[in-house]
Formats: sequence, C-alpha cells, structure tokens
Amino acid sequence: MTPLDKRSLILLVAGFTLWSLAFVLLYVLQALGCAYDWSHHRLILIAAYLASLLPLAWLALQRSRDRGATTSLSTAALWANRAAFAAGVLVFAPVTFGSMCL
Amino acid sequence: MSQTPTPLRLHKELDRIWRTPPGIHRLSSVNHTVLGKRFMVVALCFFAIGGLLSMLIRAQLATPNSAFIGPELYNQIFTMHGTVMMFLFAIPMFEGFVIYMLPKMLGARDMAFPRLTAYGFWCYLFGGLILIGAMLAGVAPNGGWFMYTPLSSKPYTPGINADVWLLGITFVEISAVTAAIEIFVSILKMRAPGMSLTRMPLMGWYMLVTSGMMIIGFPPLILGSILLELERAFELPFFDPTRGGDPLLWQHLFWLFGHPEVYIIFLPAAGALSTIIPVFAQRPILGYRAIIAAIVAMGFLSFGLWVHHMFTVGIPHLALAFFSAASALVAIPTAVQIFAWLGTLASGRPRWDIPMLYVFGFFFVFVIGGLTGVMLAMVPFNTQAHDTYFVVAHLHYVLVGGFVFPMLAGIYHWMPHISGRQSLYRLSIPAFWLIFIGFNLTFFLMHLTGLMGMPRRISTYPSNWGWDWLNLLSSVGGFILTMGFALVLADMVLQFRFGRFFRRDPWSAQTLEWATATPPPSYNFAAIPRIDRRADQLEPAKIGPVLAGGSGYLGFARNGDQETMGVEMTTGAPEHVIILPRRTFLPLWTALATASFFLALLFGLYGLTPFGALLTLVLFLLWPTTLGQKKDFGPVSIGMGETAVLDVECTSNVSILANRAALVMNGTLFSSLLFGGLFLLVVAPNWQGIAPLDLPIWLAVVAVLAASLSALCCWMARRANTAGNSAGVPLALAGLGQLVALGLLVGLMVWVPQPTEHARQAVIFVVLGYAALHCGLAALMAFHALLRLHQGYLSARRQTECILAWLWNGYAAGATCLALGLSLLLAMMGQIP
Ligand code: HEM
Ligand SMILES: [Cu+2]
Repeated sequence: MTPLDKRSLILLVAGFTLWSLAFVLLYVLQALGCAYDWSHHRLILIAAYLASLLPLAWLALQRSRDRGATTSLSTAALWANRAAFAAGVLVFAPVTFGSMCL
Repeated sequence: MSQTPTPLRLHKELDRIWRTPPGIHRLSSVNHTVLGKRFMVVALCFFAIGGLLSMLIRAQLATPNSAFIGPELYNQIFTMHGTVMMFLFAIPMFEGFVIYMLPKMLGARDMAFPRLTAYGFWCYLFGGLILIGAMLAGVAPNGGWFMYTPLSSKPYTPGINADVWLLGITFVEISAVTAAIEIFVSILKMRAPGMSLTRMPLMGWYMLVTSGMMIIGFPPLILGSILLELERAFELPFFDPTRGGDPLLWQHLFWLFGHPEVYIIFLPAAGALSTIIPVFAQRPILGYRAIIAAIVAMGFLSFGLWVHHMFTVGIPHLALAFFSAASALVAIPTAVQIFAWLGTLASGRPRWDIPMLYVFGFFFVFVIGGLTGVMLAMVPFNTQAHDTYFVVAHLHYVLVGGFVFPMLAGIYHWMPHISGRQSLYRLSIPAFWLIFIGFNLTFFLMHLTGLMGMPRRISTYPSNWGWDWLNLLSSVGGFILTMGFALVLADMVLQFRFGRFFRRDPWSAQTLEWATATPPPSYNFAAIPRIDRRADQLEPAKIGPVLAGGSGYLGFARNGDQETMGVEMTTGAPEHVIILPRRTFLPLWTALATASFFLALLFGLYGLTPFGALLTLVLFLLWPTTLGQKKDFGPVSIGMGETAVLDVECTSNVSILANRAALVMNGTLFSSLLFGGLFLLVVAPNWQGIAPLDLPIWLAVVAVLAASLSALCCWMARRANTAGNSAGVPLALAGLGQLVALGLLVGLMVWVPQPTEHARQAVIFVVLGYAALHCGLAALMAFHALLRLHQGYLSARRQTECILAWLWNGYAAGATCLALGLSLLLAMMGQIP
C-alpha cells in the first residue's frame, strides 16, 4: 500500500503541475514573441503547445501498474490527469488561431 | 502507566497539562480549541463591521442625488467594506473553523505549531485594529479593495490611506501564512493512526488543497504590497510608467493572488458542505474519488485565470482566449461537486433541519453566481459589464452563496459541538427566510442596474436614468438581510444561554470530531483511536466513551508533556510521538514587537523600524529554547502495545516539513519578484535609451561562491552529524561564509546607482536585498544549529537543526545565484555606447 499510495499522491498533482508549467511557458513565449518580434512566432507557439500535450497525454493513459491494485487515490489521480490533459487541449488551443500581438 | 486510571482521573491529569488557566493567563493560550474560537468570534465581529459599512453604502444609494455620505467618505466606506469582508472576515473565519475543527476530525490533540497559531491570531487582531483605527480616524484606505496603481501611488494618494491598507493587510496576512503552513503540515502528519490519506474525511482533502493554494497564492500579494509600499515610502519606481515601471504589474500580482483567493474562500466552505450533506442525507458522500480529483483540478485551474479581471486593459486575442477558456472550464470541477452533493441527497434519506435550509440557500444562490460567472468569462460580455453593478451582483452571489450560506449551515451544524447544547429553533427559521429573501432582493436587482449601465463605486447618481426604484428596492433588501443576520446572532446567544445540554453527536454524524465530549475538553481525546475504515463512516457515539476511558494511543498523561501522534504521510502508520510546546506569553510579545515594526513603517518613523524588526527577531529566537532534548530516548510506548520514537528523533517530523513548505512559499515570493523584473524588462514602457551599468562582476562571483560554499558546508555538517561526528566546524564555516555573502550583497546594493531613477535599478536593488536577507537568515540558521550542538541538543538521531540549516543555506545559495543572474541581465540592458 505504501509505495502505491505515495506514487498515486504524486500522480494526483503531476498532470496539473505539468499543465501549469505549460501554461506559463506558452504565456511567456507569447509575450516574448511580441516584445522581440519573432518571425516564426506562431510556429514556435504551436510546437510548444504540442510538446506540452505529449507528457499530459502520456499521464492520462497511465493506468495502475499492477493490475487490480487500484486504490481510491490512484483512481482519483487518473481522473485528475485526464482532466489536466483535456484542460491542456482546450485552454491552450487558442495558440493555433488567436491574434498574437496587439 | 501500570494500572489504568479511571476516566475521571485521566481527564483531570490530561486537563492539568493542556488547560488554559483563567484570568490574565488566557492571553498565553496556545490551545487550538481556544484560539479557533477566538478567530471565529473576532471574524464575526469584523463581519458585523463590514455589514454595517454595507448598510451605509445601501443607505447612500437608496435614493438619487443623496447627500448622506460625501464622495470621499464613500470611497473609504466601500473600500473598507470589501477589505474587511475579504481579509478580516472570510479568510480568518475559515482559518478559525479549521483550527478548531481539523485536529478533532483527524484525531489529533492540537495543531502542529500551537504557538504559531497564537502568534497568527495576535497579528490578525492587531492588524485588523490598525485598519479599523484608521477608519475611525478618517484616514481609511480609499482606492478600492484591490488598490490599483497609479491611483494608490503617492502622487494620487498622498495621505496615509493606502499605506494603512498595504501595511495593515500585510500584517494580517502573517496569520494566513502561518495558518497555511500549519494546516498543510497538520493534515499530512497529525492524524489518528490508521487514517491513510484515502481514509481521510473530505474536509481534510479540501483543506490540504486549500492550504497548498495559500502557500502558492499569498506570496504574490505580499510581494506586491511590499513593492508598492517601497514605491510609496522610498520612491523606488515599480509601478510608475514614467520611470520604467508598469501599473499592470500590480494588477498581475494582485490578481495572481486575488482569483485563487476566491477559491481559497470557497473550498473550505465546500468542505463543510461535503461534511454536512452526508449527515442529513443519511448516507456516505457520493463520488469521494471524483471530488478529490475535482478539488485538485480546481486548485490548479484557479491559478490559470487571473487575467479575466484584466480583460479590458488591452491584451492580445490569444491571451484573452486562453484566460477565457480557463475561466469557463473551472465551472466543470465545481459542477462535479454540486452533482455529487445533489446525488448524495437524492439517493439518501434526506432529513430536514436548520443546516439543510442553508444548504438549500447555498445551492440556489451559488448556482446563479456560477452562471453569471461563466457569462463574465466571455470576453465580449465582460467588456460590456466590466466595472458595473452586474459584477457587484455576481461577486456577492458567489461570495455569499459560496461562503456565507455554507458558514451559516456550519454554524448551525457545529454550534452544539462548541456549546454542548441543542438549538432552540424558534428564531432559526424566520432568520433563514429573512436572509434568503433579503439577499436575493438586494443583489438580484443589481444585475439589472448593472445591465442598465450603473457603474460600481459611484457615490450617487442622477434620478433620470431609470435606476431609482431598483436601487431603492435593493436597499430595502439589504435591511431585510441585516435583520436576518441579527436574528441569527440572537439565536446563537440564546442557544448558549438557554439551550438544553445534550449528549455527544446530536446529529448522528459519522466523523471523529463528534467523538469528543461536547463542549470538547482541552486535550480533545483522552486516547487517540486506531482508524480501520474511511473516517467519515465512524460511530462517534460508540468510540467516544471508549477513548475517554483511555483505550487507544497515548491514553495516559506522561511527564506532563503535551503528546500527540505523528503518522506517516500517506499510510497513516504511527511514526512518532509529537511533544507540543506548552502555553506561553511569547507569541503575544512577539506579535506586539511585530506590530511596533509595522506601526513605525506606517507613521514613517523609519529610524525606529530596525528596532521593531530586531526585537521581533530576538523574541523569535527565544521560541526554540524550550524545545528539544539532550539525550536519545529511543522508542517509547504509545499504548496499544506499540512503540514509536519522539519527534526530535525522527527526520520526517513536522518542523522539517513545515520549513520545506515555508521555503516553497518563500520561493514563490521570489519567483514573483523575478517575474516582476522580467515583466518590466519585456513589457514596461520607457526602457529605451537607458545606459548599461557596469555591475562589479567580481563582487557578484565571490558572493555566489561564498553562499554556495556555505551551503556545501551545511550539507557536510549534516552528513557528519548523521554519521555521529561533530558538525561544529562546517556549521561555523557556513555561518561565516553567509556573513561574507551578506556583506558583499549589501555592498552591491550600495553600489546600485540611483535606485529611484528607474525601475531597472530599483529591481536590482530589491532583488539583491532579498538575497542579502536570505544569506543573513542562512547564517542565523547555521549559528543556531551550532549553538544547539554545543548545548547538546543534536546527535546522530536528533538531526532537526542540522537539516534546517542545510535547507535554508541551500535556499540562500540558490536565491543568491538567481538574484545576481537577474541583476546582471538587467544591468546589461541598454545600448552599449
Ligand atoms: C451583508 C450584506 C452585503 C451587502 C448589502 C453588500 C453590499 C455591497 C455593495 C452595495 C457594494 C458595492 C459598493 C460600490 O461599488 O459602490 C459592495 C462591494 C463589495 N462587497 Fe459587499 N455586501 C455585503 C456582503 C459582502 C460579503 C459577505 C462579502 C465578502 C465575503 C462582500 C464583499 C464585497 C467586495 C469585495 C466588494 C467590492 C469592494 C470594492 O469595489 O472595492 N460583501 N458590497
Ligand atoms: Cu477571478
């Protein structure tokens, strides 16, 4: 129970921690691109968007390693990570179409 | 311990250890039951003050062209109303509730740092009194509860008003900071054995997430207040666009705190609902796991939407869409919880009682607030409704629905726990209907006045704009609402005076807090139970008497120590015995010293501030003197035939975890500062045409080296100590090294040319100051460990001070590197001539 729960506790916050990091990254890239007039601004943003979705997608697919040994915590963690992936796809999607600078 | 004493004997022995004596000694109390109640009572007083102010607002707005309150006073009144409600009522109210309740729900005898609880309480009280005093003196803050610059900067608020807010609120926030860390640590380490995280009642989960959010959420506000105060007092331009600052930086820092804050207020209330609803639905909560996932999601998402308060400041579409999507999305985890509660009620056998009336009120009001929230998350609508009464309506639906209604449900639910008596009911029902009808009358109409274009924060309006009778009805509603609150107050007083005494667990609730006698004894539980199932499905009426008889963990009074159990974080396996510090006047004295520091700043007596700061520091240094032990005891009996070591001999004790949490918090503050510097560099106007500075690089390199070597020394000291060797030399070296770093950093600060001239220099100055402060603190920690070593408090098993020294020295080294990195970057800015 110990190692599984400890791992689940980390997994519980892992997805959304990554989500937050991606959030900061994209927001920073958007601001820097405008401030310094990057030429491939949109491309960079989209690349960062896709790159940050990869680990989120991976987490969203992580079922408990030892089959059958799910605890409340590992289930909650899985749901939270799926929510984080969905939130990533949705919230960051505007990088593909929104106007980037004022 | 050989023969078990009778329950009464045991009670007397434990009570002698834990009780707060009467008279002047009350002021020395560090007991969580006492302090939790004090927090709640003071918060309710501030609620009354805030309510009184709102009545003045509504009286003024009841009729057009009203001459009741002039514009200047009106500004002070609405600012104080918002400020009092948010900072002096809502936050302290839930802190008090949690301080009182959490240890009882989780099976502990107190919070992790009782003296810190007391210190937090005094800071809250004194800070609140400063604000109220300023209001009575007619110099209350008047720039709105979010104190936007440039309105709140020196040229436009030359008086003391804004300083009262910045310093008073920062003083009060000390209590939020201490509470956050304490709650976080107590939940993770201080539960009844066997209560794994997955057996924890949902309230524990809610507060774990909330305290985590406070650890990340409060630092930006505290930093913003410090920077603005520095600008006002010493003219360091952080927000002044003519000198390379940017008012938007304030908005970012404020809302980076401000939005999560709304959820920080809502989550504890939701935790209370998740505790109350199953009791009255008479079935376990539905969707325990989904709720955990939802609160984690909410906690994080709420940090990704602060810019929705700034939609109209001029932001590219992309960023608007970002924050708009996140704002709408946060409704989903909220909905998950709402449906879990509704489902619990629908599938249970609901029993109507007073708390349930308020639960119903919550559903009704909060859902409307949530819907208008989603409306406001849509940028085009927001542009129309921004700064109108629609927003005032929305925020009150969310805050009153999401906090005040659950609070009233909680008051009716848990008051019998505090008083040991039953409700009388006669006033409760009319009180509810007055509140419910009064509230909706007051605030529903504000949606309409808002849509008709009435701006918020205006002291009067002409009569021909069609707002007259809506405002009048709104004001009538406000007075009905107030009558409702007055009835609730009367109801509470009556219950305490005339309610019938009643057995424990009057509602047949199934959480552990009801296993104490009511009113609860000073030590909560004569013995701590072993939990073998989810802790919201217990039988308190059965366990209570067993525990009172002393069967369970620590069911004895040993050495006159305040003992409680420390458990492994996730599994809840018994790990160590925590010995809590006894009552003392130190927190009060320390808070008074802190108050002298803040008052000196407030009145511009800058010559006196170092004394206040020094006095506070010296008093804090007295705190640890009563802690610790000079020899290893090894495992001691904890009852139930088991043994555990004492906290001092355990490296996963609460002190170490708390310091880690404090460093995370501190790191967030520092990150906000670095963000601020970079933000100004990238975005702020008037950065063209500044000349590069030639920062003395060698000084910087030596400072980094000194701080890093000190950290290395601390690491070696720790290793040596663990291996049983003396850590004296490396600790002394570490302390000296940090002092060298401190000196060099101060030298660099002196070098910064004209910090008041441009934000670039101001940022460098403050960042260096931060690093210098932390090198100083690191030196202090190293020397403190050295002192404790010499006094014999350290051994291979008793490592705490060594570990703390290493943590703070490592942090200081990291901060010095980053600070000098940013300084160098900023110094290089500008055309090379
Ligand atoms: C007792 C019933 C209450 C009434 C009648 C009331 C009334 C009002 C009114 C009329 C305003 C707008 C003032 C203006 O813009 O000119 C206002 C603002 C505000 N209220 Fe309340 N309020 C009440 C309770 C609360 C509670 C419980 C909270 C928070 C927990 C709260 C938080 C605020 C905040 C943050 C503002 C914004 C202040 C600002 O613009 O700076 N209010 N209130
Ligand atoms: Cu918000």
